[in-house]
Amino acid sequence: MTNAVDVRGVSKAFNRGRPDEVRALVDVDLAIEPGEFVSMIGPSGCGKSTALRLMANLLEPTSGDVHVNGKPARKARLDQDYGMAFQQAGLFDWRNVTKNVELPLELKGWDRSRRRERALEMLHLVKLDEFAEHMPWQLSGGMQQRVAIARALAAHPPLLLMDEPFGALDEMTREHMQAELLRICGETSTTVVFVTHSIPEAVYLSTRVVVMSPRPGRITDVIDVDLGPRRDVDTREDPAFFKKITEVREALRGMERASSSEAAGPPQPAGMEDR
Amino acid sequence: MNRSPRALAAMVVAPVAFGIAFVALWEAAVKVLDLQPYFLPPPSAIWREFQANAALIWEATKVSGSNALVGLVIGTVLGVALAFVLSRFRVLNELVTPLAVALNAVPIFVLVALFNNMFSVTSEVPRRLMVTLVVNFIVLVNVAKGLTQVDRTHVELMRSYAASEVAVLRKVRVPNAVPYLFIALKIAAPAAVITAFVSEYFGGSQNGLGSRIVGNIAISKNATAWGYVLGACLLGLAFYLAAVLAERAATPGRPQSAE
Ligand SMILES: Nc1ncnc2c1ncn2[C@@H]1O[C@H](COP(=O)(O)OP(=O)(O)O)[C@@H](O)[C@H]1O
Ligand SMILES: [Mg+2]
Repeated sequence: MTNAVDVRGVSKAFNRGRPDEVRALVDVDLAIEPGEFVSMIGPSGCGKSTALRLMANLLEPTSGDVHVNGKPARKARLDQDYGMAFQQAGLFDWRNVTKNVELPLELKGWDRSRRRERALEMLHLVKLDEFAEHMPWQLSGGMQQRVAIARALAAHPPLLLMDEPFGALDEMTREHMQAELLRICGETSTTVVFVTHSIPEAVYLSTRVVVMSPRPGRITDVIDVDLGPRRDVDTREDPAFFKKITEVREALRGMERASSSEAAGPPQPAGMEDR
Repeated sequence: MNRSPRALAAMVVAPVAFGIAFVALWEAAVKVLDLQPYFLPPPSAIWREFQANAALIWEATKVSGSNALVGLVIGTVLGVALAFVLSRFRVLNELVTPLAVALNAVPIFVLVALFNNMFSVTSEVPRRLMVTLVVNFIVLVNVAKGLTQVDRTHVELMRSYAASEVAVLRKVRVPNAVPYLFIALKIAAPAAVITAFVSEYFGGSQNGLGSRIVGNIAISKNATAWGYVLGACLLGLAFYLAAVLAERAATPGRPQSAE
């Protein structure tokens, strides 16, 4: 089976050979299988966005290889093998909601009726049917982010790359969006790489959490999360959930990971972890 | 949904009320202080002169107005075209934009004196050229900004869609520049009128609003001169309103740019 993402021996330096050279990533290896939901977490400046942009071929690595869908990243980009979403929804103000979702299809050369049909299908998926003709500025932040997800998935790419997509949302909306994202990606069997700096968000969403450290940016830990199917509130209040949160936090602090002893410690409310 | 009827009414009522109060105060001040007509005529006298000379004022307005309009249209087209060229070449843009901004800050309409030397005495070309120049700079600077200052997320999205440069231009840069064009027009339209009649102060045929104002002051017909000033104000207002209406027609429902 070809990997959804294959990052091998990748380093990325900005401003090479200049006094302000930054080693954003050093020797990163990461293989992601189809169907996985992988979060990348780490302090600000540890190279999460850089890693995601390398997968998206918005940046070229200084050394090493990036493959997406079994193809070199550049080829995968040209084939629109992935969709992307950012912290800013990045909707186009001069296009209504449907036309925003249609944009990637337009650039693929789809005809008008096929585009529209798919866009409406996507809006149904993100539960925004009634807002098809609205303009972006008429929507709340969470709704805008849902349009951005619909747009990223419009061409049915096998891979979704997300850079802190819920970072600007309030905690309630954010938890709701997390549950929605899992549902949508489950229904469309999309592989996801998700950048965040919220520990509960990473644990709730992921099958694997990749922990990174800065200066230079490296992967320091990869933590499997086997919480089974997520059930919004039930999962968030499950002791196993808190245990994973503790594990990720300790990995982030570079502490010795809690050994096999079952001492989970007092449960932490989920919201506390957030920034 | 951007402006309720009530807000709109408030927007119209307040300035109108202020205008009426101002005119009433003016009229009263002239009466009470017994100001001489050569110093400041009362609004009632100006209004009488305006009505008595309506036909002449209208003729002069047509001359200045068409100069302003021709310059506005050509200057806008030229400004948009140049903005496309400049935004294509970053170095050129970084070189020309500060220059255009600087030129905008100096009263370049004095150049019309030089243009007058190049053409026959009765030619309207120097004035139209002057308006074109002024409008061109305003439009150029703003539209170039709209074409280049594009949301970074939009650029990355378009790259992720493997979009060509032409597609980025058509689907992102041009629509992004549209509000900037209307901001430019709202500045350029009244500026075109001002430039058109100030240009008339520097010689040439004596048929426009600017020359008539000067001419009437010269023969001490102050109230008549003020009548022409009123005509000039109405012309400038008409140009500005046309720009605002054009913006509304072109971008319905969208939040309007700051006025
Ligand atoms: N285009 C760039 N030019 C120079 N330095 C950059 C650029 N992009 C990112 N960096 C630097 O690389 C490091 C990693 O950045 P980034 O990937 O954005 O981190 P994160 O997303 O984890 O906060 C930071 O030190 C940042 O300043
Ligand atoms: Mg980042």
